Amino acid sequence: MRLPVIPTPNQVVRKSSSDILPLFEFSNVVNSSLDLNFILSTVLLTVMGKMLVSKGLVMLRKEKGDFEVIAKKGLEQVSIGQRLQIERPLRTIAPVEKLMRKKMAWVDYFASLGQELIIPISSQRKVLGLIAIGSRLSQKQYTSGDKQLIQSLVNLSGAAIEKAVIIDQLKEVNRTLDHKYQELNTLFDLSKEFNIGLDVSKVVRLITFALLGQVGVHRYAICLRNGEDLQIIASKLEGEVNISTSLKALCDLRKAELIQDLLKQRKLREPAVALHQLGISALIPMHLQNQTKGLIMLGPRLRGGEYSPVDLEFLYSLGNLAIISIENARLFRDALEKQRLEDELKIAREIQQGLLPEKLPTIRGFEIAGINIPSFQVGGDYYDVIEHSESDYVVAIGDVSGKGTPAALLMAGVQAVLRTIAPLHLPLPIATGRMNDLICMNTHGGKFITFFWGNLETESRQFHYVNAGHNPPMLIRKDGSVEKLEKGGLILGIMKSIAPYEEGMCHIEPGDVLMMYTDGVSEAMNRDNVDFSEEALERVAKGARNSSAREIIATIRAALEVHTEGSPQSDDITMLVLKSV
Amino acid sequence: MSDFKIHHREGEGVNVLELKGYLDAHTAPDLENAFQQLLNEKRYRIVVNFKDLSYISSAGLGVFMAYIEDVRKNKGDIKLTNMTPKVYNVFDLLGFPILYEIYKDEKEAIGKFKDGKKQ
Repeated sequence: MRLPVIPTPNQVVRKSSSDILPLFEFSNVVNSSLDLNFILSTVLLTVMGKMLVSKGLVMLRKEKGDFEVIAKKGLEQVSIGQRLQIERPLRTIAPVEKLMRKKMAWVDYFASLGQELIIPISSQRKVLGLIAIGSRLSQKQYTSGDKQLIQSLVNLSGAAIEKAVIIDQLKEVNRTLDHKYQELNTLFDLSKEFNIGLDVSKVVRLITFALLGQVGVHRYAICLRNGEDLQIIASKLEGEVNISTSLKALCDLRKAELIQDLLKQRKLREPAVALHQLGISALIPMHLQNQTKGLIMLGPRLRGGEYSPVDLEFLYSLGNLAIISIENARLFRDALEKQRLEDELKIAREIQQGLLPEKLPTIRGFEIAGINIPSFQVGGDYYDVIEHSESDYVVAIGDVSGKGTPAALLMAGVQAVLRTIAPLHLPLPIATGRMNDLICMNTHGGKFITFFWGNLETESRQFHYVNAGHNPPMLIRKDGSVEKLEKGGLILGIMKSIAPYEEGMCHIEPGDVLMMYTDGVSEAMNRDNVDFSEEALERVAKGARNSSAREIIATIRAALEVHTEGSPQSDDITMLVLKSV
Repeated sequence: MSDFKIHHREGEGVNVLELKGYLDAHTAPDLENAFQQLLNEKRYRIVVNFKDLSYISSAGLGVFMAYIEDVRKNKGDIKLTNMTPKVYNVFDLLGFPILYEIYKDEKEAIGKFKDGKKQ
């Protein structure tokens, strides 16, 4: 560094005009620079060089009474950036020894460093900082002339220092603004992208990139909350987060927090310790409509330093922006899923409706009526009437386990088997056994069918039947007595027939009603989850026995509606009524 | 919308990615794919040339963060070169110069890889 030549004190005292030139040069050097460190170093070195001193330092006044070391020479124990509280800074140059007598606590610092003289740096009566220097190598005391020279040198640089301080502050403000601008840009950049992409994993990946880029971390994890369910959806931690012990307790944070602050809270200490051990430094809750929907966990910043309140605020905004998109993506996915299910149910409903007889045959001497009301989810109810001849008919009703498309497809299988076997005119028990074996071959695990079928000979009015585990149909006699048709055997589809099915037989006389139904009728529930019940069904059917088959069904339907009071139908409702006239 | 292109070339055992256009949340996945491809092929000496990159967002920077660890674990590096002042300012603002080696010129960065090889 080029140092200006400064006249000795005696020369200054003589006020020779030629001696003032080096002072001008010094003034020019410091005033033509905007680099604060350069100016301060120059001032310090010039003073030290002029006085032949080997130790000295410069401090600048930061906020209030805080002074910070900016430059130092020959003082190894002092570090740049060190701070000192000075309550009432000096306005004039003063020896440390004199200040010690005034018992000002901060003076000890300078005394301990062997500093002898303290010179305030000021501009327009404002104290900007100070310079301290140690003893002269010549061991001579500082004369009043020396002090005057030193103070003039420092005064000459006051304006330059002030200007440079302001420029530094402006630079700092500019940088803060740039940083804010960058943060806003990040949020804008993401929100633009989030409006396009509606895929949770894509949203999470972009959030991760933004986090990594904006705050500079390697270690992170993102956890989403759905009700009470917590799920880690992205993690780059060395170890696993214990969801039940750590995260549940930390889900209710109202704002972004540093782990070190949580460690101080008695209630949260324990879960926070676990996260701390995984290297997590900050937690950012993601809020949506006042609910925590997720949590971002971040490791330390790679460029060092803790997250500042400004960082946390930004991260909180980022998290909240992300959770809106994640939630939207989730809702979108749910809607798609729902749409898919509805489409599937529509298919199931179409299959089921296609399998039911469009029109029932007219049977001489009898009335027959059927109804099927599928529930929203579509069960697997089925009924059929097959005409062998004008006096020989097969009636059947069944209920396939399960719901939706699988049940509808199984029901289609049952229909195919029934329609194949019925024309063979086999005795019902043998035919039922064959049906069971065929169905067993084609169903896998846990699927079964309750099935009732019978053979009506209209001339003899004989009705042979087999009941394979179906709700026993009610034969309501003209006089009001009721017989239940229970004979048969095991439900279809569980296992290959071992024991033969049993056959039942009855006569259906004029005025008798055979009422076949599925459990959707007897188990139709009201709002309090109370079944309609078999007893009620029997009572209603009995009361209506003198009406036509169609009217009997209508009466039962009306009774069901009264019972369920409009609560949603949980299962298919199917009835088949055969009445002898 | 925003336009972003990556050109990959290889020479002297170093992979150079030339970035062009806008690197933001929309285009970040493209860069991610490019890095992933290099890693899949076990190419860990990477120089990214920013000469024609006109804009970079935080999400773009994040991609570098997401891959640097894996690359360095395999004794490679991602060195950055030829940034315009505008792009450098973003790197600087977010404290990246202490995390990455940034060079004025691509040759210099490639040279650093070669120096490392000799040792």
